[in-house]
Amino acid sequence: MGNSNSSILSDAEMREIMDETQFNKHQILRLYTRFASLDKNGQGYLSRDDFLNVPELAVNPLGDRIIDAFFTLGDSDGDSKSGQLTFRQFVRILAHFQPISKVKDNALNSRKDKLRFAFKMYDLNKNNYITREEFKVILNSMVGANITSDQLDKIADKTLEEADQDRDGKISFEDFCRAMEKTDIEEKMSMRFLN
Amino acid sequence: MLGIEHLLFVLTTFAFPPVALTVLLCIILATFGKSLGLRQMYVDTLINIFEWGARQIKTTEKIRRKESALTAPFFLNKLSEEADDDEDEIRSMETPHFEATDGITDDEIEARSETESHDSGEDFPSVDSDFGDESCLKRKFGSTTSLASVGSCCSLRNRKMSESSTLGIIKRETQIYLDDNFSEDIPDEVFVRSRGWAAIRDSVDFVKAGMEAIIEDEVTSRFEAEQLVSWNMLTRTSIKFYQFVNWKLSALWILGFMFRYCVMLPLRFTVFCIGLVFLISSTALIGLVPIGNWKKALNHKCMLICYRILSRSLTAVVYFHDEHYKAQAQGICVANHTSPIDALILSIDNVYALIGQKHEGLLGIVQRALSRASSHIWFERSEAKDRLVVAQKLKEHCTNPDKLPILIFPEGTCINNTSVMMFKKGSFEIGTTIYPIAMKYDSRFGDAFWNSSEQSWCGYIMRMMTSWAIICNVWYLPPMTRRDGEDAVDFANRVKKEIANKGGLVDLEWDGGLKRAKVPPKMVAKQQERYANRLSRYTSVSEVVKDEDVDVTSDYLVDKPVSGYNSLEDLPEDVFIDEEEDETIDAHDENENDDPAGESNILPNKPLSDTVSLVKT
Repeated sequence: MGNSNSSILSDAEMREIMDETQFNKHQILRLYTRFASLDKNGQGYLSRDDFLNVPELAVNPLGDRIIDAFFTLGDSDGDSKSGQLTFRQFVRILAHFQPISKVKDNALNSRKDKLRFAFKMYDLNKNNYITREEFKVILNSMVGANITSDQLDKIADKTLEEADQDRDGKISFEDFCRAMEKTDIEEKMSMRFLN
Repeated sequence: MLGIEHLLFVLTTFAFPPVALTVLLCIILATFGKSLGLRQMYVDTLINIFEWGARQIKTTEKIRRKESALTAPFFLNKLSEEADDDEDEIRSMETPHFEATDGITDDEIEARSETESHDSGEDFPSVDSDFGDESCLKRKFGSTTSLASVGSCCSLRNRKMSESSTLGIIKRETQIYLDDNFSEDIPDEVFVRSRGWAAIRDSVDFVKAGMEAIIEDEVTSRFEAEQLVSWNMLTRTSIKFYQFVNWKLSALWILGFMFRYCVMLPLRFTVFCIGLVFLISSTALIGLVPIGNWKKALNHKCMLICYRILSRSLTAVVYFHDEHYKAQAQGICVANHTSPIDALILSIDNVYALIGQKHEGLLGIVQRALSRASSHIWFERSEAKDRLVVAQKLKEHCTNPDKLPILIFPEGTCINNTSVMMFKKGSFEIGTTIYPIAMKYDSRFGDAFWNSSEQSWCGYIMRMMTSWAIICNVWYLPPMTRRDGEDAVDFANRVKKEIANKGGLVDLEWDGGLKRAKVPPKMVAKQQERYANRLSRYTSVSEVVKDEDVDVTSDYLVDKPVSGYNSLEDLPEDVFIDEEEDETIDAHDENENDDPAGESNILPNKPLSDTVSLVKT
């Protein structure tokens, strides 16, 4: 990558991205360089395979979930993508992981936003509820074949029991937020971007 | 028409004697292993010029910045300005300032290169200072002492610092670990209110690690050319760095271009051809000599001469350190792999037996020629799939005292010389003495890394011949043997660590084969196992009475299908290029060619165990 071209982002695009997220020029440029280096075919967009070429992501048990998040949550209107991720969408997702903004109100990285991002990752069918089955899928990705389905069921049941306030058998976003109240989401879901 | 003919005639008449003379001088010096120090002078001049160029860039940059405070130019590399100050303190040992004076300390090098002669005595002033902290030339090199070891630590530290501050996007906070110690992850029991929600919280950590990996990961960067910190006046690196600075720099760049292509390239090519011809003819002659001491001595001399000539064809300036650790008797020499010319560089100083796959074409001719003079191991591609056969040949060779030490690159593929990746265990199982060698190239003068997915063999050679020079530091390390109770994998890791330390490289557990192959499912399974283990230690407070909660792992770990990587990665691979065709096939076939551990007496490969403990923040 050391010798590939650096930036062909237009000024207008750059400004749009800066407005939408909190990244500064340098950061956006670097992210663009990274985007370009992941895009091995030079097509201007990323595919799922491009992501899987990063071994540390491929090894991650939730790797698939993460890649899905890019492709389904990249658009601001939540439409599922055609398997092609543009740079705008890429940066938008990454913006969720910026440290919490003290300046902007409607930035992409408030606590609620981060929680919503996490919630959407688990809500596979995007109906704004995490059902028992969806929870089981997540847990299953993380532990693989190492627990029996009985144990899985039990854990799922208990999880719902603890969080589901309105007893409808699924976890809504409010339930989710409440359950994660004591968790330091700001820390867990932020990356240290360098200047 | 006539005018042109005359012109050509005149040119050739005048040009021919100096060219012929230079080439002749070069060959003669190579034969006797002497040096005139011309190459060193060339390198020093280049450094001065590089540094001048960088100063130019910096001053222009400063001026520009002042002039247009609002619209700073998008110089990716120059955002190191802020980072520079941090780095100043860090680099206490090496250079006084990050900026212009870096090059000056390079002059303190006492080059102890074996053979020095330069084919073109011109001191071409080329500009460009590239004070990458990747340069090892900043240290003082003594001839036999290991002063370099101190320097190498600094260099590693600096490199790491610089990587994160000037070239990094984020500071990594979570990571997936590949080692086996997942028992240390978490104390025996942790009380949580709810295991399910604890799992969700942990999942957020996984997500963060994944996101970080997407932005910046340890592995993919190793398969691309090393990023230069500042420009080295080569067209190929100019895109990233060069925005028009001033006419002086541009003029020098163009002059440099012409020099490299019109003067250096033909000279180098001539020398290369002569070297090749000499190689083939001398090995043919040696082949006629009956086996014995005479043959061996003759082979030794001729090989050294050949390789010296060939290395001059690349203007290779090699510094050897700690020569007393050089491999004398039989054994296996291992080194980190960066480019196909690694073997060439190492053979300037010592004669080795090589191992690799049989090739066609020019390389095949060379292989056959070499085999006439001494025994090397070349195996058929089909045999390469059969680990046992290769391991056997290796063992036979190593236990025979008449044979030369074998040179192996256990990474199996070219890495970009910033790190050392997983060593395949095959060579470490044999049980002979291992002579580790660390190699570090200075990429300012020409990046030796061969990215086989981007360049063909010919393109690569062209690039090598049109670079300024190939500068390499070679450290011989003390020989190592396997300890009792240490298995091959641990031994390999131990050797790898030594090499990484000496060369100032990052020691990684990841497999170089990931350059082309996907991560095998087995690795993911290991991470899952690791997490499950962690999960099992969570005890839900409300259920502490019941006992069916805990107890997760054991039964399900036996008999996991051993798929993916396990079978062939410890094959000692080519010395020369082979990577493209062969490895892609390997990656496919591996899933079918599982090697049930019982059949061979080679231990199941453990390094692929990856274990997660993300939450080591």
